[in-house]
Amino acid sequence: MSRQLGRVVSQILNRYFGEIVEKVGNDLFMYGSKPMGMIIKSTGLPRTQVIESLRTLLKFDLATFEAKDVIVDYKLLPDNILLLIRYPRYLLQMKTKYGSEAEMLVEELLQQASCTATVLIVSVMNKYKDDKEKNLNIVKLKDTFISLATAGYIQQAPVAESNSEIPILVPVATIVPDLDVRELINAMNTNLNNVSDNIYWKVNYDRFHLDFRDEVMIKAVTRRIDDNAGELLKLMLEQMYLSSSSWASDSSPVPLTDLKDGCQRISDNMKNHVEQYLRVIEESTAFIRRTGDAGGGQYSVRIQHALIQLVEALCDHTVTERLGGKAARIFRLIRSKKYIEEDDIQKNAMLPNKECKELTYKLLEEHFISVQPMRKAASAGGMAKAIYLYHVKLHDVAHVIRDMCYRSLHNVMSVSRHTRVLNARLLDKKRRVRTIVHGMRLRGEPQQNIDDVRYIFCIYILRGAWTVEVLDTLTPPEVTSSAEAERRLNTLAASELHLDRELFILTSYFTYQR
Amino acid sequence: MSDNKSDEVSEKILNVARKNPKGISDKDMAAAVPELTSAELVAAINKLLQQGVFDLYNQGGSLLYRLKNQNSKQAIKGADNEEKVVYNLIEEAGNKGIWIRDIRIRSNLANTQLTKVLKSLEGKKVIKAVKCVNASKKKVYMLFNLEPDRSVSGGAWYQDQDFESEFVDILNRQCLRFLQQRADKIKNNPRGPIVGRTQSYATAAEVQKYITDLGISKVKLEVEDVITILNTLVYDGKAESNVYPDGNRVYRAIESLLPPPGLVQVPCGVCPLIHKCNSTGLITPQECKYMDEWLEQ
Repeated sequence: MSRQLGRVVSQILNRYFGEIVEKVGNDLFMYGSKPMGMIIKSTGLPRTQVIESLRTLLKFDLATFEAKDVIVDYKLLPDNILLLIRYPRYLLQMKTKYGSEAEMLVEELLQQASCTATVLIVSVMNKYKDDKEKNLNIVKLKDTFISLATAGYIQQAPVAESNSEIPILVPVATIVPDLDVRELINAMNTNLNNVSDNIYWKVNYDRFHLDFRDEVMIKAVTRRIDDNAGELLKLMLEQMYLSSSSWASDSSPVPLTDLKDGCQRISDNMKNHVEQYLRVIEESTAFIRRTGDAGGGQYSVRIQHALIQLVEALCDHTVTERLGGKAARIFRLIRSKKYIEEDDIQKNAMLPNKECKELTYKLLEEHFISVQPMRKAASAGGMAKAIYLYHVKLHDVAHVIRDMCYRSLHNVMSVSRHTRVLNARLLDKKRRVRTIVHGMRLRGEPQQNIDDVRYIFCIYILRGAWTVEVLDTLTPPEVTSSAEAERRLNTLAASELHLDRELFILTSYFTYQR
Repeated sequence: MSDNKSDEVSEKILNVARKNPKGISDKDMAAAVPELTSAELVAAINKLLQQGVFDLYNQGGSLLYRLKNQNSKQAIKGADNEEKVVYNLIEEAGNKGIWIRDIRIRSNLANTQLTKVLKSLEGKKVIKAVKCVNASKKKVYMLFNLEPDRSVSGGAWYQDQDFESEFVDILNRQCLRFLQQRADKIKNNPRGPIVGRTQSYATAAEVQKYITDLGISKVKLEVEDVITILNTLVYDGKAESNVYPDGNRVYRAIESLLPPPGLVQVPCGVCPLIHKCNSTGLITPQECKYMDEWLEQ
C-alpha cells in the first residue's frame, strides 16, 4: 500500500471509469475504509454520483464492503484494480489456448463483470451476428463455455444471502452447467429479460495467473537449458495440478516412472534422457528437487524457490540497467557471499578501489543493498573500527523494484493520457472517418470511393448525402500526426503490458513470502 | 699443518651448522669436534665469526650460532655495521618487504642515518624499494633480486600500483567469448543433456591456454589469475561454475532466466530522476524529455 500504488490505481480508475470513480477510489485508497457519508463529505460529490461509483466498483470487484451494525464500510481492493490492465493478456491467453470463441466469451464476461450463461452467450452471438468472418455458431459457443467452466477459467459468482438488509456474499462451488441449445436459440429471438437462468458467472483470475506463472517458469528453463527441459517442466507442472494444491510452495513428489510415461509423447531423445534432464534442471536452476528414491526417484517442483530465483533475475536486470554491469557484479557478489566486507568486495569484484566504493555506495543509496554495522566492544575506545557488512535483503529489494514499477506504470499511463488529450480532436475525427468507411464497406460501395474518403474529400461535398461527414475527414497533415499519436499510444500500451508482466512475477513472489 | 687442521675443524662445524639451519649452540659444536679442547674450539669459532660465516644470537640465555646465507655474505662485503643490520632486517622480511618505520624501530637507528644507509644500499643495487598496492604512499624495502609478493604488487592486475581495469575488462570479455563458443552444445544434444553440459564446460586451464594463445596479455597469466577472472563472470551472472569429480572448477556460459523485464524497457527504469518525478512540480511524466525521446524513436 504505497503512495505509488495509490497513484497508479487512480490513473487506472480514471482511464476505465472516468473522473468521478477516480475521485471516490482515491478517497477510499487514502483512508482505508470508510462509510458512504464520509465519502460524500470528503469528496464533495453528490450522493447519487458516489452511490453510482461505489456500485461500479463493487460490481467489478474493485471494492468490498463490511457491515458493522448499521454502518457499512467500503474498502478499495487495489490489487484487483491493477488486474484491469492485465485484461489483454487474459484475452490473448484464451485465444491461444481455446480459440477466438473463448476470447469473445471472456471479453464479454470481463466487460459485464458477471452475468448468466444464457445472457453471455446470447449477447456474444448478437454482437458478432453480422460479422461474416467470425462465422459464429451457438453450439460452438456453448461448448467453449462449458470447457472454460470445466477448466476453471470461469467460475460461479458468489451468491448473496439476503436474510438481513445487508447482503453477504458467499462463494459457491462451481458446477459445470448443462446448457440447452434450443433454449439459447429461443432466448436469442425473444427478450432476454424473460430468461429464467439465475446462475451468475465471472472470470476466475486465479486460474489465469497459474497459467502465467507456469509459463514464466517454463520459459526460464527453456532459456537456460533447452526446449526439452521446458517440456519436461511443463509435464511436471501438469502432474502437480493432479496431486497438490496449485499455489503450494513445493509440489508433492512425482515418481520418475510417471514422468517417463509422459515424456514418451514428447520425443525419443527426451525419453532416453529424462533422468539426465532432471539432474541438469536441478543443478542449473534448482526449480526442481529430488526428494526421495522410491519409484526410481521422486521429484518435486519448488515453486517458491523458482520465484525467488526469478525475482533475483529481475533485480539483476534492474541493477544492470540502472547502474551498469559493474554494479550488478557487486550486487551479485554481495548476494552470493551473504555478508561481505567492503575490502572483500573490491578483491573479488576485480574493480578499481575507487570505482568499487562508489558503486557500492550508489547501490546502498538506491536501496538495492543494506549494510549491517558490527561494533566492537566499547572498551577498546576510538581504536576499534566498526566492521560494515553489506548484504542483500531480497524481500526489501523486491519492494523497491515493485515501487519503481508502480511509478513507471503511472508515468506511462499519464503520458498516454496526456497524448490522448492533446490529440483528442484528431483521434475522434479519425474514429468517425473509420465508421464512415466501415459503413460504406457494409453498403458495398466501390473501393475507389472508400479510398477517396480517407484522403481526399472536396469532391464529396458535391454529393449530397455525404456532405456532413465528409467535412470531417482528415487532411494529409492530420493523417500523419494522428498516425504519430497512435504509434506513441501503441508503444505506451505495449510497455504497460511489459510492466504488468514484471509486476506479476513480483506479486507472485510476495504471495509466497507471506 | 695447523692451518690445515683448523680448516678441517671449521669444515666440521660448518657441516653441523648446515644440517641445523635454525642455529646451533656451542655444545653442539663441541659434540661435532670432540677431539678439540675448549680453548681450541673457541679459537676456531672466533675465526669463523670473524669471517662473518655465523650470526650470533641470544636465545633463552644461551648463545646460538646460525649460518649466514652465502650470497648475503657476498653482497654485504665492504659494508659497515649499520648497513649490515639494516640489510639483515630487510633480508628477513623476504619478498613481503619491510616498511621503513619497522626498520627504524627494530634497528634503533636515527631517521637521518637510516635514510642514508638505505640510500647507499639502494645505490649498490642490493635492495630495492617497492610501492605497496594497498597503501599507495607506503614503500617497502626488499632484496634486489626478489620478486615482490602478490600482496605487495597486487599480481598481474597491477601496473605501477594502478589497477588495470581495462585489462581485466578485456580478459573478462575474452573468457566469456570462449565459454559462449561452447555453451550451445547443451541445446538439444542428441547424446543427452549431461554430455552436452560436459561439452559446454571449460576448465580454468583451458581458458588460460586460450588466453595465452590469443597473446593479448604481456604478463604471463597463471591459472589462478584466470580463475579470478572467471569468478567475475560468475558474479556478472554470465557464467555458472561447477566442480568436476577430480576437484577442478569448471565454468559454463549461461543465459539469464528472464529476458529484460518491462521496467528497464521504459525510460523510467533507468531514469536517474525517477525518485524526484511527481505529478506536479518541475519533473513530471508529461513534460519528461526522456519519455519524449523514447517515443520519438
